[in-house]
Amino acid sequence: MKNKKNTVLVLGAGIAGIQASLDLAEMGVEVHLIEGTPTIGGRMPQLDKTFPTNDCSMCILSPKMSECARHPLITIHIKSTLEEISGEPGAFTCRVIEQAKYVDPVKCVSCGLCEAKCPVKIDDEFDVGLRKTKAISRYFLQSIPSEYTINPSHCLYLTKGVCKLCEKVCPTGAINYDDKDREIEISAGAVILATGIDPFNPLGFGQYGYHRYPNVVTSLEFERMLSASGPLGGHVVRASDDKPPKKIAFLQCIGSRDEGIDRNYCSSACCMFAIKQSIIAKEHSKDLDASIFYMDIRAFGKDFDKYYDKAENHYGVKFKRSKIADIVELPDGSLDLKYTFENGDIQHEVFDLVVLSIGLQPRTGSRKLADKLDIRLNKFGFCHSDTFTPQETTRQGVFVCGAMNNPKDIPESVVSASGAVAGAVKFLNLGRHDISTGEEEIIEKDVSGERPRVGVFVCHCGINIAGVVDVKNVAEMAKDLKNVEHSEDVMYACSTDCLELIKERIEEHGLNRVVVAACTPRTHEPLFRDTISGAGLNPYLFEMANIRDQCSWAHMNEPELATEKSKDLVEMAVGKARNLTPLKRLPIAIDPEALVVGGGLAGMTCALAIADAGHQVFMVEKESSLGGNMKDIFFNLDGSDPQQFLAETIRKVEDHPEIRVFLNSTIEDIAGYVGNFRTMFTNGSGQQEELTHGVVVVATGGSEHKTTEYLYDESSRVITQKEFERMLQEEKFPPGKLREVVFVQCVGSREEGRMYCSRVCCSKAVKNARQLQSKKSRANIYFAYRDIRTYGFSEQYYSELRNSGALFFRYTPDNKPEVEKVHPDDPESRVRVTLFDPVLEKDVVIEADLVVLATAIDPPEENLKLAKMLKIPLNSDGLFLEAHVKLRPVDFATDGIFVCGLAHSPKDMSESIAQAKAAGSRALTFLKKNSILAEGTIAEVRTDRCSGCGYCEDVCAYAAIEIDPEEGVAVINDALCKGCGACVASCRCGALDLRGFTNEQLFSVFDALEIDAVEGIV
Amino acid sequence: MNTTDNLRKTIKTLISEKKVDLFLGWEKGSLPLSATPLFVTTGEQAERAIFDVTCGNNLSIYFTKDKKQYANKKVGIAVKGCDARSVVLNILEKQIKREDVVIVGVPCNGVLDKKKVLAATEGREVLELVDNGDTVTVKGKGFELSLNRQEILSSSCLACIYPDAQEYDFFMGEARGEVPNEERVKEIIDFQNLPDSDRWEQTRAEYQKCIRCYACRNVCPSCYCNVCFVDQNDPKWIGSTCEYTDSVIFHVIRNLHVAGRCVECGACERACPMDINLLMMNRKVAMEVKDRFGDVAGLDINGKPAMSDFKEDEKQKFIMG
Amino acid sequence: MSEWQPRILAILCNWCSYAGADLAGVSRMQYPPSIRVVRVPCSGRVDPLFILKSLQSGFDGVLVSGCHPGDCHYISGNYVARRKFAVLKPLLEFIGVEPGRVQFSWISAGEGDRFAKVVTRITEDVRELGPATRLVKKL
Repeated sequence: MKNKKNTVLVLGAGIAGIQASLDLAEMGVEVHLIEGTPTIGGRMPQLDKTFPTNDCSMCILSPKMSECARHPLITIHIKSTLEEISGEPGAFTCRVIEQAKYVDPVKCVSCGLCEAKCPVKIDDEFDVGLRKTKAISRYFLQSIPSEYTINPSHCLYLTKGVCKLCEKVCPTGAINYDDKDREIEISAGAVILATGIDPFNPLGFGQYGYHRYPNVVTSLEFERMLSASGPLGGHVVRASDDKPPKKIAFLQCIGSRDEGIDRNYCSSACCMFAIKQSIIAKEHSKDLDASIFYMDIRAFGKDFDKYYDKAENHYGVKFKRSKIADIVELPDGSLDLKYTFENGDIQHEVFDLVVLSIGLQPRTGSRKLADKLDIRLNKFGFCHSDTFTPQETTRQGVFVCGAMNNPKDIPESVVSASGAVAGAVKFLNLGRHDISTGEEEIIEKDVSGERPRVGVFVCHCGINIAGVVDVKNVAEMAKDLKNVEHSEDVMYACSTDCLELIKERIEEHGLNRVVVAACTPRTHEPLFRDTISGAGLNPYLFEMANIRDQCSWAHMNEPELATEKSKDLVEMAVGKARNLTPLKRLPIAIDPEALVVGGGLAGMTCALAIADAGHQVFMVEKESSLGGNMKDIFFNLDGSDPQQFLAETIRKVEDHPEIRVFLNSTIEDIAGYVGNFRTMFTNGSGQQEELTHGVVVVATGGSEHKTTEYLYDESSRVITQKEFERMLQEEKFPPGKLREVVFVQCVGSREEGRMYCSRVCCSKAVKNARQLQSKKSRANIYFAYRDIRTYGFSEQYYSELRNSGALFFRYTPDNKPEVEKVHPDDPESRVRVTLFDPVLEKDVVIEADLVVLATAIDPPEENLKLAKMLKIPLNSDGLFLEAHVKLRPVDFATDGIFVCGLAHSPKDMSESIAQAKAAGSRALTFLKKNSILAEGTIAEVRTDRCSGCGYCEDVCAYAAIEIDPEEGVAVINDALCKGCGACVASCRCGALDLRGFTNEQLFSVFDALEIDAVEGIV
Repeated sequence: MNTTDNLRKTIKTLISEKKVDLFLGWEKGSLPLSATPLFVTTGEQAERAIFDVTCGNNLSIYFTKDKKQYANKKVGIAVKGCDARSVVLNILEKQIKREDVVIVGVPCNGVLDKKKVLAATEGREVLELVDNGDTVTVKGKGFELSLNRQEILSSSCLACIYPDAQEYDFFMGEARGEVPNEERVKEIIDFQNLPDSDRWEQTRAEYQKCIRCYACRNVCPSCYCNVCFVDQNDPKWIGSTCEYTDSVIFHVIRNLHVAGRCVECGACERACPMDINLLMMNRKVAMEVKDRFGDVAGLDINGKPAMSDFKEDEKQKFIMG
Repeated sequence: MSEWQPRILAILCNWCSYAGADLAGVSRMQYPPSIRVVRVPCSGRVDPLFILKSLQSGFDGVLVSGCHPGDCHYISGNYVARRKFAVLKPLLEFIGVEPGRVQFSWISAGEGDRFAKVVTRITEDVRELGPATRLVKKL
């Protein structure tokens, strides 16, 4: 452990791998991100939308992908695999093979001419075979890195020694057929495994007719069909006749919850995935008839049940609880589904298209990788981890996250990724660091007194632009524009030579603004900004005109008009450039301490993650002891001992030199912002104390819903799940024999007033029922339930319970079980439970010795107060609302504040631990820095113009602007402003402006073409 | 007891019990057609307070256009329905605090439009005016006319839906509540039904009259920017010439600036020397704001001004599909 | 070239619509060369005056496009924008600006085809209307 390397190897560049890499890099850790395919992004780019918000998947992912690609501490190795790992935790040596790409990424400009010319068509892996690609290709249109690669097993030259068309057509000479696989050795302190999942392949399972019937598709294929950028352009048609389907069936649990094929686990995401697809399909075509055939709808996540409800009641998606017995193809390609209802009735229904909701399984090759890493997998091939250490593998220093750990959706993958990082940093030696640009400091020229001297560089991009646009003409025209000192056309603006040329021209002509007319600023602006900064200009004195992606490529058949358009775009860019001003990113100092609100399992776990990384943590807990809800948990499904773990955790927290615990304490006020918070609280002795800290973690927990249903208040034989668990622990059962025990699920959950699933109750009831069986083997067990939601690996315990003879009765909210006392006057009387049995279609009466209610989890009332103090939002259920439900699950929109545990949403112990560690990691990305840089593009106030009306404050999503109560004018917090400009456009007084996009700059763009336009006809 | 007596008594009590440091009301004007703002600090001054058809001034403008003067003072204010909405907006827009203002509602039956009175007298100067309720008597050199109240009311009053304060501490008489007013939208609907070329011609003709005197803005209770956008020069937002596109754009933007904030008091139109039908755009905007966001400017003291708020599921048919 | 070509200003948010426009190009989707794109961080940045100013300086049409509801990179900027446009558009039509001249849309980073379609549609609409005259300042 002496030679700790501050380097981590991340295997797999899906969303989990990307998140882990970004978190580590932000803490100052060097990351090597190893990815087998030619792009980062993983599965998310294949998705059209994400549930339950219908966010566009690429819209939310691509900023993270570019951030990952741009980060100076992250090295991406595509087409690479880990071959061998040796050494000890803290000092591993990893051997990685980087496959030959046959295209020089430095020279490739991603123009695509090679792909167009390549004669070899092969199935497109990204579009799951629904489209053809070429032997030289870009993995998908927005892949990162963007450079092309050759598939050596299909390339004609590489396989047969003939062709070389791509080499001939490549304008930059990027093709290199002699490229070889490279072996690299990476020293790493820790390894994070994030290799993700493959979808289940239903090919070998004949009963669904997959591949036999063209109109039976998998959910992943259907997702690509729905996608606007997919092979069908978002217009779903049947493969058999290209007609849009009018009736679609979704079949759930294909390759999940299936003991027969050794897949007795729930894939956790497919129910929501099918609901999403049915909604999106119905949005595409309103008359569409969509049916989902299911066993249980497992909408257990935050806001999932509302989405389910919306699908059913707003969109009219039909939910059919039944098993598909058979699928027969009709002559017109439609499919006749035979299915059975609970009561045994058989029905036939014809559908135009059948979507198989396929389950998730570890990526092919995971087992081989596990052998190389020497880690254990579970019986389903997922990475083994323990309940209390969800991100640890069986090998020290190797962590797991994402769906390789267990089937999970996007936010949980992100959470587990940050959680894995918290584990990995323990094997590193991290101090606090200053942000450095990585390059030597260049003294910036002061251009403030100078008149604008604009340099214009118009890029040919080989023939990508010049093949359509008259580039020379555009460059000539620019010479005559006001303030343009220099203009020229260049072959590849982004080539190293040209970047040097730009620097020389800045020197030569005394340029103080630069315009490059080329491709898109979304990918190339950072490069050019760096370049002019290298020549001593402030990087913000740069503007781009997009004449490739948004001009030459889109108007290939109209060269003259494309040239006119390019001229206009250059004119507009010069118009803006003329008014550009240098911007600074100001440093904001970060206090290294953290405040954790709440001392339950989540709060303690998070505090330990932060404190173990060397930071002081203040923990404020309202109760007189630590432990929260976990004090009432005595068993786990996997047999581990929660109380022992709790006792150890409390001891660790209490003994930790970096943690100060304040019990019986309440927070009175929190002021400040990221890096600089000040908290007033009343301590256990009733005195006010003040703390200063850099971040806040909200871990306020949840509480058991107090019900009045099912005679809970009136009978000692009706108890809650929590009470039952204690009863099992203490073995203090009610008098008499315990023969008949009824479990009632969803008490208070999933109904008016609490439209959410409390998530843990099904597994908890299964767990306690099994405990009961182990203690009182003769008890008969009955479940009254709505859907059994034992997602993930809990499924196996549920089926075991079912196989053991426990009886399950499904009920609907309008036909709840009825409970009455057998002897009304006797408080200890047994209770009579009447359940409707949907199988027999009649009531079943049970004289129960005990009724156990699975009561809902409520958010604590003090959430509201805390939300107001921190200016963070709550959702309609009173749960804290994170910055983004998919990709920022533990952050708030306001920087420096994080959430974990039940305060975020109901979750089990393992999930709370994962999220708490994730919150710890996210907190450390700030705490590990001495200071952070505020954005350059932020709003500014002219106080003399501000009338203090507060509209800016209302429209700001980041609590970055407020009206100073003393002065009555707006004040911007540079640390929090993200530069969206909503406040600016909402300011009537013209008191606000957005640096980098000022009114003046934009006006000059709108006015740039004025003279031409008035001429009217060109 | 009539409104004026009632008002005087209330002001006196507020002053004597030190509930307010200052009370804003109206007194008889030196010109008979418009009452003058009255600043009451003593019981004696309260005797000068009146309320009648001449009290068109929206006194809430003193809270914003003379902000410093009113800071840290308890102020009482007499308000008509529209004025009360302005006060509510002033509160929502942090110009004053609710606890610092005592709102006294007066039952309003509309205020006069001088231009209409002068039209009735055929331009002869009015020397005395008596508000009799349904009629108004005007006297001048050698004439006395009894005018039907409806004929001389400001067009904003004829279209008024909320004649009395919805938010108040005291009310001088009976509140009428909401008055259904079909007429209000008729002009708008009729105009909307014209072909767009006709609408444009009318708009152009109307706003070509504008001489950019900014009287509309200066009297507007919702216009209280320190420097109006039209007067800002770095950068110059829009041209300040009388060229009609400059004028139309000025008025469109001004309307958007008062969207969800215009209380339709009609002060702008009464002040306009060129007789431009200014309220039409305001009403159109108010209709859209109500229809789309369910908001009426200054009605709900617990709400948020429409343009500082949003809901996720708003109508968005206007977005290209 | 003799035929009149409309010139339409497109104000696009950086994160969704601008990316959608890029994708349209990368996918080589062809659409009329009528638009002139201005990139802003968020549709929330768009002041209604931008639209009026552009019309006054002679653009034949204006398109403003942001992220779909729920997709905003800045959480709610597009909702703030939507309220402004929801008032501006009917008001402009009310005073007699032709309905086809000013349009709003939501285009995501993955909707290159939608971008191409929206541009095609607004171009056709504006072409039908002919060169803008109504709010254009004659010099």
